[in-house]
Amino acid sequence: MTRRFLLLLLFPVFFLPGCDRLEERPKMKIAYMNCNNERETYQRFAPISSYLSEKTGVEFETVVVDTHEFEERMKAGEFALVHTNSLLYIILKEAVGLKLMATEKRGAFGSHTAGALIARKGSGIEKIEDIKGKRLIFGPMMAPSGYLAQYDLMLAAGIDPERDLAYYAIPAGAFKHEKLVYAVYFGDFDVAAAPVLDLEEMTREGKIEADDFTILAQSATFPYCTFGAAADLDPTLFAKIKKALLDLGPEDTAELDGERFKVLKTSWAEGFEDLLDSDYDGLREMARRANMPPYQSY
Amino acid sequence: MVKLSCTGWLKLLLCLAAAGLVALLVAAPEGGGMARSSALDKGLERELARQARAAFVRELYAPVTELRASGQPQQALLKLEELARTYPGDPHGLVLRAEILRELGRLDQAIGHYAQALRLNGEFLDEQGPFTRRTEIRQLVEEGLATLLPRFQAHPDNRSLATTVKEIYYLQSRLAGGCE
Repeated sequence: MTRRFLLLLLFPVFFLPGCDRLEERPKMKIAYMNCNNERETYQRFAPISSYLSEKTGVEFETVVVDTHEFEERMKAGEFALVHTNSLLYIILKEAVGLKLMATEKRGAFGSHTAGALIARKGSGIEKIEDIKGKRLIFGPMMAPSGYLAQYDLMLAAGIDPERDLAYYAIPAGAFKHEKLVYAVYFGDFDVAAAPVLDLEEMTREGKIEADDFTILAQSATFPYCTFGAAADLDPTLFAKIKKALLDLGPEDTAELDGERFKVLKTSWAEGFEDLLDSDYDGLREMARRANMPPYQSY
Repeated sequence: MVKLSCTGWLKLLLCLAAAGLVALLVAAPEGGGMARSSALDKGLERELARQARAAFVRELYAPVTELRASGQPQQALLKLEELARTYPGDPHGLVLRAEILRELGRLDQAIGHYAQALRLNGEFLDEQGPFTRRTEIRQLVEEGLATLLPRFQAHPDNRSLATTVKEIYYLQSRLAGGCE
């Protein structure tokens, strides 16, 4: 009886070193750019944070951040890693020295994407010159494949979006990219600035047919969403996280709130690629021509 | 009983063998004809199946080919997405995708898709075949070696470039007649 009592007293002692290790585990935050809405963005990307925690021993917290908040919060040193669109990567590299880690692969162009100007087939709008005086719907202003690429395409064709269109608008709320495709499909607008990836996915899902639209112009491809690291992130940890991302395959799972998820499937990604910073130069040129951040001048 | 000498026995055996051969010769024309005709049927069937397959593939991907010919590569890619709903992973679709991606400047993607298609179906290398892409693959390899290899040599730690270079070498080995 006494022996059993002593064993019971000793029992918690076995777990104490484990508790210490838990407390020792460093905590860091990963900021994910808010896509359609906060809840969906969290559900998509939290398994990636869990996966990285399992692989690196760092406890990563998932934080969903609005596009315009990134720069300020990065400057405050709040995040170790960020997952943003490629334009934001360029902006944050200029502003806080963000380091390129890995680029997400999704769709036909893999780690790249493109933007297109589309009109409904049979609308009489057949080429980019025809959009003068027409109603155009853009994606979100900081979207490289839903705004910047198309703005640049119009400038290259001698069309000033600020003067030569009847008017342009940006849809409100979530699912902006899908909304603008439907806006043209149902005739509310004449032309839309559609990300090619959304056209591809909507076609794959049977929401639209390839023949429904005329593609008036399409940009060159440029990198898709990107993982970047804070300039002061420990190089060993940087290498560890990068390896974990590049190794991530369709069968890898991670636990979140007691459930196991397939990380890539949940995040809609097809993997990650190791790009060079110079792969983003084409997009930098677009931003310069369109007078967009980080090269905006007044 | 007739008593035969050794030579006699040999003569008898020779006569029996000759009779057997005559019997075989009589029966042979009919049997050989059947075998030939059966082989002919099989050859015909194979050729018919090959032609039917080629015609089907051409018809299936005709809209993609037309869109490409009319200078609409992105629409052609979307059409491939539509077709992939019914025929996912079809190597002919992969080859078309590779060609369009190359047109759109995604050389690495084109290399990856060609390699994937060749792993599924080696007939794209058959110079006499209806779907030959030998010339295109050779040009792709040359372009890849000229542009991507120096890039990889400058960044030997880059895993994506390493993967693409590996795929270029794979295509090169298949062109040289190597198997998997």
